[in-house]
Amino acid sequence: MPQAMIRVEKLCKSVPTTEGVLEILRDIDLEIDAADTVAIIGASGSGKSTLLGLMAGLDAASSGDVLLSGHSLASMDEEARAILRGQLVGFVFQSFQLLPSLTALENVMLPIELKGENSAREKALQLLNRVGLSERAHHYPNQLSGGEQQRVAIGRAFATEAKILFADEPTGNLDTATGARIVELLFDLNKEFATTLVLVTHEDRLAKRCGRIVRLVAGVVSSDEKTSHEVDKKSVR
Amino acid sequence: MARSLELDLSGQRSFSTLISLAARLLWRDWRGGELKLLSLALVMAVTSVTGIALFTDRLEKALVLESANMLAADRMLRSGRPLPKEILIEAKTRGFQTAETLSFTSMAFSDSSNMLVSAKAVSDAYPLRGEVIIADAPFVRGTPIASGPRPGEAWLESRAFPALELKIGDKIYIGESTLRVSHIIITEPDRSSGGMVDNAGPRVMLHMDDVAATNVVQLGSRVTYRFLFANTEPEILDDFSLWIDEEFNSEYRLRDVRDESAEVSEALSRAESFLMLGSLFAVLLAGIAIALTAKRYSERHYDYVAILKTLGCTSNQIAAIYLMIQVVLVLVSIGLGSILGWLTHAGILELLQTVLAVDLPPAGVRPYIVGSLTAIVCLLSFALPPLLALRETPPLRVLRKDISPEKLSDRMPYIFGLGGSVLLVSWYSNDLLITFILLAAVTAIAVMLSGFSYALLKSTSSVGMKAGNSWKLAMSAARRRRKQNVLQIMVFAITIMSLLILSLLRTDLISDWQAQLPEDTPNHFMMNISQSQIEGIEEFFDENGIRGNAFYPLISARVERVNGKDPEPQGEMGDGGERTTLAGGAETREIEEGSAKLGREAEVEGEEVRGRLSRRQVTWAAEVPSDNRIVEGEWWDESASPGYVSIEEEYAGWLGLEIGDSLEFEVLGQQVSAEVSSFRSVQWDNMQPNFYIIFSPGTIDDLGATFLSTALMEREQKVLLNDLVRQFPTMVVIEIDGLIEQVQTIIAQVTSAIELIFFLVLISGALVLLSCVNATLDERFYENAILRTLGAGRRLILSSLVIEFATIGVLAGFIATVGAEASLFYLQERVFNQSFDLHYWVWIAGPLAGMLVIGALGLNSTKEVVRVSPLILLRRIS
Ligand SMILES: Nc1ncnc2c1ncn2[C@@H]1O[C@H](COP(=O)(O)OP(=O)(O)OP(=O)(O)O)[C@@H](O)[C@H]1O
Ligand SMILES: [Mg+2]
Repeated sequence: MPQAMIRVEKLCKSVPTTEGVLEILRDIDLEIDAADTVAIIGASGSGKSTLLGLMAGLDAASSGDVLLSGHSLASMDEEARAILRGQLVGFVFQSFQLLPSLTALENVMLPIELKGENSAREKALQLLNRVGLSERAHHYPNQLSGGEQQRVAIGRAFATEAKILFADEPTGNLDTATGARIVELLFDLNKEFATTLVLVTHEDRLAKRCGRIVRLVAGVVSSDEKTSHEVDKKSVR
Repeated sequence: MARSLELDLSGQRSFSTLISLAARLLWRDWRGGELKLLSLALVMAVTSVTGIALFTDRLEKALVLESANMLAADRMLRSGRPLPKEILIEAKTRGFQTAETLSFTSMAFSDSSNMLVSAKAVSDAYPLRGEVIIADAPFVRGTPIASGPRPGEAWLESRAFPALELKIGDKIYIGESTLRVSHIIITEPDRSSGGMVDNAGPRVMLHMDDVAATNVVQLGSRVTYRFLFANTEPEILDDFSLWIDEEFNSEYRLRDVRDESAEVSEALSRAESFLMLGSLFAVLLAGIAIALTAKRYSERHYDYVAILKTLGCTSNQIAAIYLMIQVVLVLVSIGLGSILGWLTHAGILELLQTVLAVDLPPAGVRPYIVGSLTAIVCLLSFALPPLLALRETPPLRVLRKDISPEKLSDRMPYIFGLGGSVLLVSWYSNDLLITFILLAAVTAIAVMLSGFSYALLKSTSSVGMKAGNSWKLAMSAARRRRKQNVLQIMVFAITIMSLLILSLLRTDLISDWQAQLPEDTPNHFMMNISQSQIEGIEEFFDENGIRGNAFYPLISARVERVNGKDPEPQGEMGDGGERTTLAGGAETREIEEGSAKLGREAEVEGEEVRGRLSRRQVTWAAEVPSDNRIVEGEWWDESASPGYVSIEEEYAGWLGLEIGDSLEFEVLGQQVSAEVSSFRSVQWDNMQPNFYIIFSPGTIDDLGATFLSTALMEREQKVLLNDLVRQFPTMVVIEIDGLIEQVQTIIAQVTSAIELIFFLVLISGALVLLSCVNATLDERFYENAILRTLGAGRRLILSSLVIEFATIGVLAGFIATVGAEASLFYLQERVFNQSFDLHYWVWIAGPLAGMLVIGALGLNSTKEVVRVSPLILLRRIS
């Protein structure tokens, strides 16, 4: 049995608030294989972002565990999780999260530089080219439109050839047409790099592009089904 | 189908990766403008602290050098007996320059006349500091020369020429030797540093080698030997002082100019305190500026760090990166700041050359060390904590904006900042009292603020922006940013307080000095005048246009019993040393006690206490002397009955007296008793006759007093002294015109030094205010940009901004005023030996100035918000 790329075991998250302990996630179990594409959907406030953050090791769970490529996050401190993220994980966010003081090119270069690789510039240029922004390489984020910024962010996410890509409403801040183009790009690159993709969305159209849809309701998984895509994909193989 | 992935989970990044990453971040931050403010603040801090330290260093050296002229040396040793040669030999081996002088009173004869002169023999090296001014005609300005007469020659003061009917080239005879008169002395550097011996007649200066031939100086003659020492290193001077103390069991004491003149000593130490305070404020302000910009810098970097962490950077790597950035920042700003500091100080010097009364010696390295250490300590204590807090930024921040590291280490920066300030201030001032006063003031301001402004801003708590009118809008803005505003008001208040303290101190010090030695200060003392001579002397003054003053009776008295018991002095008097005034203090004692004892200089502690008890020059008067103030009890009125006495307050305290006590005095062998009716404060530093004890008229009038008076004689009137002394041969004239002139020069120099430092600190204060306004700009910018997109008019936004800043300014100004007055109270009473009076006008001017300055600064920095289109604004902040 091949090892799952992401394995979520009895994951719980609760936070203390002034009105008592708030349980955001309860006993989540998930298993996601390499190169799978999974959409997490659910009502606002159902805990999607929280789940994504926990799977990506951006936060520590209250109980339960997440294993990324077999490495247990629960047994790691933030330092170790950071190292694992650097090796394994890429991100795309709703609000892009580009560094405003860096140009598009530098933003894409940053994770490569952080890894200590030498060919950062060429690689980054290639990726910018791939996302169709080679002429805007030296522009700063505030000189780019939202869609362009998100393309830069996608370029950055693939820069280190991460095995897993987490995306939190990557089209949430974009109009439909632009969103659609971003989605194309995301899935194209995903296929190219054979990345495992986990994305949070509330757009049905986007969710349906994924092989699997996990629905959260009030912090628990209410349904988990494969889409026709997944079936297609399997049959192609 | 993932087989187990080959992952490098060691997290090791090579050092060179980190360095290159740090370098890239640094460069990009710089280019993006993020780092500019912080590095600007750092460079500014180093520049201002180094610049001011350079000034202070050089001014202080200049003042010390200049005042050393009064001794013609850095240190001096004085004795009535020949000094042991070992001292001279030791001094030589320690690398000192040395010289000797010998003063004595003698008759000088010319071919046709004779007079009493105060002779002074000097060795080749004399003077070690300062210059003798000589001329070839009497009563002219003269030219400086850095030596005394050669063997066989004599130099005389101007007024000796008419008296002895001399001209240049004539012979004079002192004792058994013959000397040729070669020059006229206009001034000599240490003219005033003598006792009676040096002031009893016009000066005749001769070479040391000629003394033996005169045969005047014999065992038991009344002479003063002086050794002069010079060395540019203060530590070497102090070491030598200690050596003499130990070696000679305090029989000899190395004196500096402060021992010689209370006035100069006071002026110098006040100037030093002021300069120190000025540089302290510069350091403090620099620290504030750094703290503010560092906070802003790190706040802007939260997202940065969060993203770096999602990209796999560990906290330690982030800490390493920011540390490296800081190291580079510090190095660059130290280098740049030192250069700029030097340039600034050189530039200002150039500008001020005409007004600056001092020649500045080159500075040492200390200013640069001070500047560098300030940058390092400021950065460590103010900038490091927020930057290190960055490492704690949770990566989850990329998903949830509300998470920031502040929750984790909220108090850290304050503790560090406070520790850093205490360290800096105490290290810099090396003075626990000043450190304490300043920190107390700052803490008090902080406490006052937290309560006061909080309550005030909170008073009308309501929801929403209140965008209806500008006043309400401003108030609601001020309330919304309450926490930020309290911090801002605090910074403003501390800055304004620093400036207020300095400016008020400066004004008070300068006016004090002007009052202390006004232009028309009498510069000649006449003593030993008998009742019958008074009329004649007054006539003489009238005829010759000399400004004379009142005649004080002078009689020597001793407190024998207090309320019928032996007096019990309470240890040392507050001031420690003997008052070096010209009357009432020790100086006049010489006259009676003759040559055996040279006044204050031969005393040791124990004797001093007894001396104070045993003999006082006292007087009687119908009215309170003009400089004195009654602090307790009442002065007698016109029709005063005899039998009352008024006592100087410290002396009274020393004897433990109370109003109504009855004292028994011994006055020239007779018993007199009197009741204490008042205590007085006395201005000891005005170079005028001052008395510890004043009787009411009629109490001791008939016991045989002599009289003392003072007069103002201009340089060209001094020749009249010859006639005066001839007409009233028993009278003793003490010439203190040289001394007064020297003190006035030194005070003028001290004044310009103070003005200069004040000016410099003013500039750095203004810069801090500016950076503080800028520090809160982001949020205001954002809010107002949104208000504009929502359709708020230009006028509404502008006037609400002005009102918000002005309100903050008024509050800050008021709190600063309270803080300044409180600190001034302690500073003036404890450090500057001044009396503190409330500065009423400041209570209005402080808040007003705060309002105007901060309103204007705020407006100036935010006006862009209404100039630029809202779209550009929104893009800029997103
Ligand atoms: N640190 C926290 N403190 C308090 N409440 C929290 C915290 N983190 C999450 N929550 C709450 O948990 C719930 C789930 O949050 P989460 O961000 O995961 O929702 P979401 O499904 O992503 O919603 P949306 O679709 O609106 O983004 C929300 O009600 C949120 O307010
Ligand atoms: Mg969400």
